[in-house]
Amino acid sequence: MTSTTNYYQLVASLPHLPVTFEVSRVPITRIQLEQRLKMLGDDDRIVVEQYQRFLVWDRQHPERTDEEFQSEYDRLMRTIKNPLVREMVNHRMDVRTITCGLRRRRLGLSPPTGVGQYVDVIRSKWRDADFGLATKLPWISALREALEAKRTLAVERQLLLATWNRWVKLSDAYHFSFETILLYLARWEIVDRWTRLDETLGQQKFDQLLREVLDGHASFNA
Amino acid sequence: MNAEQFVILALGWAGVFLPTALGAIGSVIGCARAGMAASGALLDVDSGYGRLVGTSALPSSQTIYGIVVTMQMNQQFSEKAAPGLFAIGLLVGLALLFSAMLQGACCASAITTTKSKPEVFGLAIAPAAIVEGFAVFAFIFALIISGGVAGAAA
Repeated sequence: MTSTTNYYQLVASLPHLPVTFEVSRVPITRIQLEQRLKMLGDDDRIVVEQYQRFLVWDRQHPERTDEEFQSEYDRLMRTIKNPLVREMVNHRMDVRTITCGLRRRRLGLSPPTGVGQYVDVIRSKWRDADFGLATKLPWISALREALEAKRTLAVERQLLLATWNRWVKLSDAYHFSFETILLYLARWEIVDRWTRLDETLGQQKFDQLLREVLDGHASFNA
Repeated sequence: MNAEQFVILALGWAGVFLPTALGAIGSVIGCARAGMAASGALLDVDSGYGRLVGTSALPSSQTIYGIVVTMQMNQQFSEKAAPGLFAIGLLVGLALLFSAMLQGACCASAITTTKSKPEVFGLAIAPAAIVEGFAVFAFIFALIISGGVAGAAA
């Protein structure tokens, strides 16, 4: 027998996400979140697991070949039936394709083969600074500027911001439904990614300070 | 009594009980929604449990309104009054049903808001109170009109 999800209970059990993803820690730990997600019904759990697998894929190995990218996209579109998950995957793919296009153009390469609705637009407006998409996707300009300035953290921030804003806008339309939970997970993942990024930077800074102190100590003893 | 008269009178008696039945169905759905939200919220708070669970009981008032209307209409009525009583019973029942269901959703939202910001409880519960107001309007006018229908038919 297929169990169903009690959306009211599950949504109410999740702590509010912050207004912005630029916070120092996630409002709920991964372990706690996984425990809450045990309230999901069988069918919903399958969809959530599909989306979580995509997120894991999305986070790992950012420098994939176009063929791998295309093949994974085709596989996802074949297996995912939920319209919102398809929309979320498409959005992430669009962001990847546009970022790839900006990077390739900066390196003097040809337009990306990529996937998604903007591939042809990018090809036709390859010489346009923002591929003619600045009005529709205002975050492209900021992303391009960050890429040109080689500010890695700013690039990551712009990418996360573009996705975050999209999820926030979508989540306004849903209350106490499966879509609410999916969008919560999507936004939680961004907060988690940002806090981990921050953690990595903190670790790097700490290592640098430690090296400076140790070097200073060595030169003092010498 | 022929079949036509029987059907008309049966509809009249259905109209008498519909406010209670539909109000109760609405309360069940509304209280269940808000109650589920309250029990979920209990996982995320360390205090104020009573307030959360208490809020989930708000949609129960529609059943009480339904019972009062049924009691008001529960009297001998003529064949002429039956269609009017059915119409009033059905319409006020539907008003109570939907108000209870949607009040439950308002309460669930108030519960999720209150667990993070307890200081806004009064404001968060206001939409549920407004929905309650419309249920009260339907209830009062059902009482007034049902008395008139019985009198006019007589």
